[in-house]
Amino acid sequence: MMTKLLYKQIRLVSHPMTFVFTIFGVMLLIPNYPYTVSFFYVMLGLFFTFLNMREQKDIYYSALLPIRKRDTVKASCLFVVLIELLSVVIAVPFTIISPRMNPFGGNQVGVDANMTLLGFALLLYALFNIIFLPAFYQSAYKVGMAFLKAVIPVSLLMIAMEVSVHIPVLSWLDGYDTVRQLPVLIAGMVVYLGGTLLSFRLAAARYEKVDL
Amino acid sequence: MEVLSVKNLCKTYPAFQLKNVTFSMEEGSIMGFIGRNGAGKSTTLKSILNLVHPDSGEVSLFEKNFMQNEAYIKQNIGVVLGGIDFYPKKKVRVITDVTRRFYNTWDESKYQHYCRLFEIDQEKRVDQLSSGMKVKYMIALALSHEAKLLILDEPTSGLDPVSRDDLTELFKKIVESGERSILFSTHITSDLEKCASHITFIKEGEIQQSGTLQQFRDAYSYLRQPGGELTLEDIIVSVERRAYDDEAII
Repeated sequence: MMTKLLYKQIRLVSHPMTFVFTIFGVMLLIPNYPYTVSFFYVMLGLFFTFLNMREQKDIYYSALLPIRKRDTVKASCLFVVLIELLSVVIAVPFTIISPRMNPFGGNQVGVDANMTLLGFALLLYALFNIIFLPAFYQSAYKVGMAFLKAVIPVSLLMIAMEVSVHIPVLSWLDGYDTVRQLPVLIAGMVVYLGGTLLSFRLAAARYEKVDL
Repeated sequence: MEVLSVKNLCKTYPAFQLKNVTFSMEEGSIMGFIGRNGAGKSTTLKSILNLVHPDSGEVSLFEKNFMQNEAYIKQNIGVVLGGIDFYPKKKVRVITDVTRRFYNTWDESKYQHYCRLFEIDQEKRVDQLSSGMKVKYMIALALSHEAKLLILDEPTSGLDPVSRDDLTELFKKIVESGERSILFSTHITSDLEKCASHITFIKEGEIQQSGTLQQFRDAYSYLRQPGGELTLEDIIVSVERRAYDDEAII
């Protein structure tokens, strides 16, 4: 069932730009740049897909398929997870290449392209999902408002993350200390998993109550 | 077998109310669901399908409770809600390719057969299909997964007389074997006279009458003028007519 739902999202619902933005990990090659922004584009890409979903009236198509109402939400959540994880996986090789190409030895703006950054990306996605998905499925049509509600806290968290590496006590987040930064990545994975599951449950419960 | 049973369905909106909607359908029948615009036809159909949450009431299809058997029931029905206005820029072929995966009983040869019969071009985009063609495409999808009950919301509205006649003939053929049934809402009463075996009439959110076409005519036989024939349209217009008083237009 999960593959069918995902196939439907990819074939009918997805907006091409959503896939284009997943390769924005390439921005980690910019010598000095707030690298968390490259993951922000992925969220913007997801917004395009949800906008497309509303405009193409996918909700009415999905309502006629032999699936439960909550499976419609599951299809969207699966697609979101696919895109987000794809973007992180694509970013991995660029985190390896980036320090070798940087003339300054590291990112002067914010966090380096390192394991901390990947953990941060997952934390940002978790925050985005937990706000955006339930907010969207409360009405199943107010995409813009749901995105706005999500991106404001996400942007604040991004700023906090970029600033954190300049605080001396947290300077270990910067640089390339795999042993000390691995827990950040693991924490990101755990929070992402828990947060996304919770966001699906909340979104599905809200969508059940929506009159189409 | 009772293919559909709706009991005491209630739904309150700020400006509209469905009141204790109750009716049932037998296998092999074509039930016309009539009422004027805004009478509650679409809300009832959407409540049956759980697209709208009824405040109370119970819906069973194929003698199974809808809420507890949603996926099973949806495997066995075909639904057309006012033509298709989803995915207008996608090709028919692509929509079918996604849809067929969800049905255990999908029969590709039947699908090809119905596409040939209805002259549906697989390479056309949805918005290139005429209104009648869109309904036929949805019916082709439903028949290809062996739907036992078709629920159609205003399938003939907006179609020319020839296309409407074509569809009503098709409906009769679909139920001919006695295994399939059709519930369709409409405000075009002449379509019902051509093909419906049963009528359910809704007015202001309340069921006025539900039964066979003959029972329906008998129930309103008091409206018959001496020497005149009583058509469904006469009945509906007589029951629904509203007079404007002298102060209506100011």
